[in-house]
Amino acid sequence: MNIAVQPTNTKKANKLASTRIAGKLVNEYWEMVWRAKEEGKLICWYEGSAINPFLEAADICWVHGEAYSAMLAARHQEVKAQQVAEERGYMRELCSYARTHLGCAVSNQRLRGDGTGAAVPDEDDLTWKLPAPDMIISAYAYCSTGQQWDEMTSRVFGKKVPIFNVSIPWIWGAKPDAAYLQGQEWEETSDYVAKQLNDMVAFIEEQTGKPYPWDRLYELMADIKRASELRLEAMDLCTAQPAPASFFDWVVSIAPINNLPVAGVKDYFETVLAEVKQRVATGEGAVPDEKYRLFFDGIMNWNKVGWLANKFANYDAAVIAGRYTHMAFWQEPKLIDPNAPLRGMAQNYLICPNNHASPILIKLIMDLCRKFQVDGMVIHASRTCRAFTNPQFMIAETAQRELGIPSSMFEGDVTDESFYKDEVLNSRVEAMLEAIESRRMAGAA
Amino acid sequence: MNRTEIIGRFAEVAKDPLGYAEEWKARTGKKVIGSFPMNFPGELAHAADTLPMILQESDEAITVGHGVLFPFYCGYTRSMVDQAATGKFEVLDAIMFGDHCVQLLGAADAIRMKLENTRVIFFQLISSMCDPWTQGRSEESFGKLREELEDFIGRPVEDAALHDSIKLFNRNRTLIRQLYEMRKAGTAPLTSVEMQHVVKSSMVMDKVEHTALTEALVASFEAAQPRNDRNLRLHLSGHFCQAPKPELLAMIEECGVTVVGDDLFHGFRYISTDVPETGDPVAGLAQWYLDRNTGVPCPTRVQNNVDWDAFLLDAMRDERADGMIVLMAKFCEPHMYYYPEVKEAFEKAGVPHLLIETEHEGMALESLKTRVETFVEIVKRREAA
Repeated sequence: MNIAVQPTNTKKANKLASTRIAGKLVNEYWEMVWRAKEEGKLICWYEGSAINPFLEAADICWVHGEAYSAMLAARHQEVKAQQVAEERGYMRELCSYARTHLGCAVSNQRLRGDGTGAAVPDEDDLTWKLPAPDMIISAYAYCSTGQQWDEMTSRVFGKKVPIFNVSIPWIWGAKPDAAYLQGQEWEETSDYVAKQLNDMVAFIEEQTGKPYPWDRLYELMADIKRASELRLEAMDLCTAQPAPASFFDWVVSIAPINNLPVAGVKDYFETVLAEVKQRVATGEGAVPDEKYRLFFDGIMNWNKVGWLANKFANYDAAVIAGRYTHMAFWQEPKLIDPNAPLRGMAQNYLICPNNHASPILIKLIMDLCRKFQVDGMVIHASRTCRAFTNPQFMIAETAQRELGIPSSMFEGDVTDESFYKDEVLNSRVEAMLEAIESRRMAGAA
Repeated sequence: MNRTEIIGRFAEVAKDPLGYAEEWKARTGKKVIGSFPMNFPGELAHAADTLPMILQESDEAITVGHGVLFPFYCGYTRSMVDQAATGKFEVLDAIMFGDHCVQLLGAADAIRMKLENTRVIFFQLISSMCDPWTQGRSEESFGKLREELEDFIGRPVEDAALHDSIKLFNRNRTLIRQLYEMRKAGTAPLTSVEMQHVVKSSMVMDKVEHTALTEALVASFEAAQPRNDRNLRLHLSGHFCQAPKPELLAMIEECGVTVVGDDLFHGFRYISTDVPETGDPVAGLAQWYLDRNTGVPCPTRVQNNVDWDAFLLDAMRDERADGMIVLMAKFCEPHMYYYPEVKEAFEKAGVPHLLIETEHEGMALESLKTRVETFVEIVKRREAA
């Protein structure tokens, strides 16, 4: 069959029903954020690492910058914020997460802060609605953009908001003893970040004026550890053929593990796991007719989650695993000791999907490709997220050399839809699937 | 050598830095260590009796490099991987760096994969500059880099050698700063292209050789009288890792402009700050790293108590500059983040500036010239009004 002439939009992704709960939790969370000022809560803005348990324990309302930008993009309400940012001089080639979030900061400052804003804001416009921060914590692994984004946010608010920086070094991994979670560099770096987290807690105490409630943090981290174990167990079940859940289901499940209130998270992943087990038992797949199994390298295109899920389903391609979903977000629960969680938290921040240099990073990706028995790799070259695009040519080369699997690259972006070119994706993915078909036919001959 | 010959020599090295390194290596039989900009202290590698050189963007079109990094990366990083992939870095025995820009990290990672036989040494410098632990962490980073360097050359880098290198580098910086002062006063009418040759060659040449030539160059201006021209006095800002193209600088100066100051990396930023010459030399290098950012703030660092925009306005007052041209390398994220702060501060202060985005692949100079000429006219009319 010629894949390129398949009728389009005939098959849709068989999404996990339980991921609808994630949507509800996300909505409830943002409603809570929008009410926070009125409820007298302190608000902390942060990006990158999931430091939210530290804040939740101290009863501080936490706002993850990427999450807000992603939410706006998923609701197709990101353009206004991006325009506001552009008006202030932030250029289009800047990280669109940052650009969108800074647009919210500028908008907020104009309309709430300095009183020089013009019109009364529209209640439905989420750009201005994000409550201004009382503090900023920067704890960004790998990407220099994170720290600069936080610094600029502080400056947008006239440097009146206290800011705390946690520096998370890149793991270069050149020493003979270097490997994933191993070696002197890993141990020293873990200590360095843990020490800073301890200092960050002192900063939080200064802001709240109260002793830090460590016991509350321990409780939250016990729940996160369990939620992470459940998530990973469900992901592992996707080695089944057909795969019961897709990369896109795990994308929808990022918010629960990454930045939602901890109370509902364990229950969420218990429900997800139960559904995945049920699907494995009945042989139900994440796409109606799984013919190809793919790995997704790159960050998510948040304007296009459902669109891409359906597109690949229509190609009979199950996108099973990805660097973004399977190598991040409390990815190593075994490192977390709920009664002394600081070092394990630091280590989980250190293993964000980009924070190891290529030799270690690429090995992890190849291991995932083997584990999930993928036939090919889709690579999302996100225009403004260079943290993800940095090693992608090397990943593609290694996949071909070590696993003999083809790759297909397409250009898009995290939250700026204008960089996405649908026809480029179509033709490249179709070419890759043709190549997989040809290889199968050659193998069968 | 006379003044013209000295500047000619600097221009020659600036034009072909790797050629200079090859010639130096053949002449001395010693190792060459390349470093990425902008914060690796060459003093460390110099004290190890090697030639430290800051790796430069090449003028050549990017070819093989397109298969290593995407086209939406800055020209410097794309040129670096292209030079590595096309065998241009054969002369290098090692590469050392400690920076944190995400594009530089990507380039370094790719270069390590491409140059399997070249040691790439890295220890990340802290980029948050006003934390209580910034000095200590910087000392640790430079200490680690020193250890790695010692491992590479197979012998210790002695404190005494490091002190000597620090003194030599300080002397070199002091001399170039003197040139800057003379240019500001009008006694050393160096064009911005010539000034770039002086600084860029200093990033590459044997420091003893470069310092001797710079001493002679400074001396050649010492008796000069201030030159008065009717040109617009201009400050050039921005352009971090890579040098602005000489033809762009020349075009700007053809528009009735005299450049009287800059904060370019291939300019004042590189030589702005000296390293303490006494005490523990590694602690001194860490102190230098911190002092540089308070002296000439850099948007690649974060420091909430220092403002680049305020520095620029102060520098322009000191230089009696009438306006500023911002040179921004396309895709340079730190610059894109900070630019709105500069823009707002300049608008608020009523100081005119013009933003020019530069590209590795070349620029339409004629259309840029029209923009610069218009800018010059606007500033002149404003001043006349």
